[in-house]
Amino acid sequence: MTLLTVLLLAGAVLLTRVSSLRTAVGILGFQSVIVALACLIFGLKTGEFHMYIAAVLTAVIKVGLIVYSLWRVTLQLKHEREIANFNVSFLLAILAIIVSYGFVNKVLPHMAGETLGAAIALTMIGLLMIIARSQAIMQVVGLITMENGLYLLGLSITKGLPLIIEMGIFFDILVAVVVLVILTHRLKYSFETTDTSILNELKG
Amino acid sequence: MFELILAALVLPIVIGLITLPQKNLTTIRYTNLAGSALTSGIILAIICKITEIKVFSSEFLYVDYLSAVLLLVVALLTFTATLFSLPYMEKEVKEGHATEKMIPRYYALLNLFTFAMVSVLVVGNLGLMWVAVEGTTLASALLVAFYFNRSALESAWKYVMICTVGICLALLGTMILYYAQVNAGSETQALNWLYLKQISNTLNPTIVKLAFVFILIGYGTKAGLAPMHTWLPDAHSQAPSPVSGLLSGALLSCAFYALIRNVIIIQGTIGTEFIHTVLLGLGILSILLAIPFVLIQHDVKRLLAYSSVEHMGIIAIGFGIGSHLAVYAALLHIINHAIAKSALFYLVGIISQEYKTRHIKEIQGIARVMPTVATMFIIGILAITGTPPLNIFISKFLLINAMFESKMWLLGGLALLLLVGVFAGLMNNCLKMTFSSVPEKMKQANVSPVALTAIGFSIVLMIVGGIYLPTFISDILTKAAEIVIGG
Repeated sequence: MTLLTVLLLAGAVLLTRVSSLRTAVGILGFQSVIVALACLIFGLKTGEFHMYIAAVLTAVIKVGLIVYSLWRVTLQLKHEREIANFNVSFLLAILAIIVSYGFVNKVLPHMAGETLGAAIALTMIGLLMIIARSQAIMQVVGLITMENGLYLLGLSITKGLPLIIEMGIFFDILVAVVVLVILTHRLKYSFETTDTSILNELKG
Repeated sequence: MFELILAALVLPIVIGLITLPQKNLTTIRYTNLAGSALTSGIILAIICKITEIKVFSSEFLYVDYLSAVLLLVVALLTFTATLFSLPYMEKEVKEGHATEKMIPRYYALLNLFTFAMVSVLVVGNLGLMWVAVEGTTLASALLVAFYFNRSALESAWKYVMICTVGICLALLGTMILYYAQVNAGSETQALNWLYLKQISNTLNPTIVKLAFVFILIGYGTKAGLAPMHTWLPDAHSQAPSPVSGLLSGALLSCAFYALIRNVIIIQGTIGTEFIHTVLLGLGILSILLAIPFVLIQHDVKRLLAYSSVEHMGIIAIGFGIGSHLAVYAALLHIINHAIAKSALFYLVGIISQEYKTRHIKEIQGIARVMPTVATMFIIGILAITGTPPLNIFISKFLLINAMFESKMWLLGGLALLLLVGVFAGLMNNCLKMTFSSVPEKMKQANVSPVALTAIGFSIVLMIVGGIYLPTFISDILTKAAEIVIGG
């Protein structure tokens, strides 16, 4: 479990330094694989059957469908790269990890497992990516990272939500990615770029 | 009852699926009109049934008086929006803003949107309610992006991004609430609203308070409360006008409903003081932030969108005061605002189609070009600013009255002052548009009678609502207010 947590955080921190869209989607896939594995381990530990289903769902939806659809878009966006200040977001990501582990140790010491801190850190890094990145695909990657973090958080504090709700959440995330992929296509078509920093016409 | 709710959920999906592969536009129109009339009818039947049996609850569904208030809004708006869509979309195709191919997609998404909103109101589980609220964002996102031009894409991108991030925070809050439930030793019936309400005094207040903060930010974003309202004017101004009406009248109210459902549980744990202070603060801030944008606005649809921010603020204040009268007024205000604002969005849809612009300065002399539309527009504006004897006056008056009754002199005075600011802004802009001289190129325009029927229906409700409130409705509102304050 410790190994998985370290890998997960390393992946997330690496994500803040990536400028190629395809690498980012690859790391996202890797991250989702770890979340699915974590789900499986929780299942083995607690013996709850619905964890296995959740692990399979994570694998199919987050590793399979979402990564596949994002990958297909990036194939058409060969010349799109992220240009941002990587050092600042890198430092902020490290800071997020320190703060979240510190927070968990201080405020919730009785449940300071390894995963809870990592989950909060992952959520914050995801949010950070949405704010700091301007490439459409990068923002979507940030959104899924954030959702992965929330999912892990739910897993570590409550052994996961009931299955029916979880399935609803998976479905929502999947549809959200489909909608965002459609919009990204259209951005490319209308603006000839997927850099969202040019979306600044609507004001006042 | 179960069958009725199921029918209200399944019917929009079925109509949407029938519409999608359909090519004949006339068939699409009639199917959708019939479908929306039937859906609204079923929803009204649910409301009638609720007045008899008070509460319906099954494993995942839960309907009571509070849901009934919002169901009424959705029933009214779904019908008028579909009715208004018929002439509006026909004209959009004729003018070349949309192609015939896009029409099935429009109606299918509209049905999906209705389905998502109804499901927010009938589920009895806070987790599933979250799923449904996120569903409304996704269903409406492609409607906001409907024209797929640059500004539509921009607004849709921001809409999905801001609302999804916001709603993710609400998910975090919901998870924390579940954690509180597990901690209290009751893992069964996870996040079931009714069950949580019963055990709310056994939950840990610190954890629940944390949950409240996230839930408020999350659903507050979706409900358009300042300072999380930034997506709202963009999305409302770029969507097709019938959709803008639905977004403003029904969607914001549904998000507010999700917030209130959570608050009812949370106030059982942490008391009302903190919640009320925050709601009052956000409410006042929403009105305050809307004023400058209403005063100096160039886009008529954005003008109405900022007015929606203001009205959401008023509703938040109502719930923030927390007395029975105030909550009653806030619920009444939700209904009144939905009727008036949707009608205004439809009217602005007609106006901008005729003038081929949404720019306030370029729209002049509506009274000469379209006398009937101008009359309705003025009635609508008078209603939305709370002028007697129209419906919104009643709810605003009750609300201000409740404020003074709860001895909030300063706040009441401030709210009145701010409302004057909004009144001035809306009146200034809209009277200029209506009564200035007509530009030379404009000729007298013919407006489709179907569109006028859809709007006229709302206008009649506005006028009647100002004079007479049926006991049937006020009964529902009274009991819904009791549920909100924890009766």
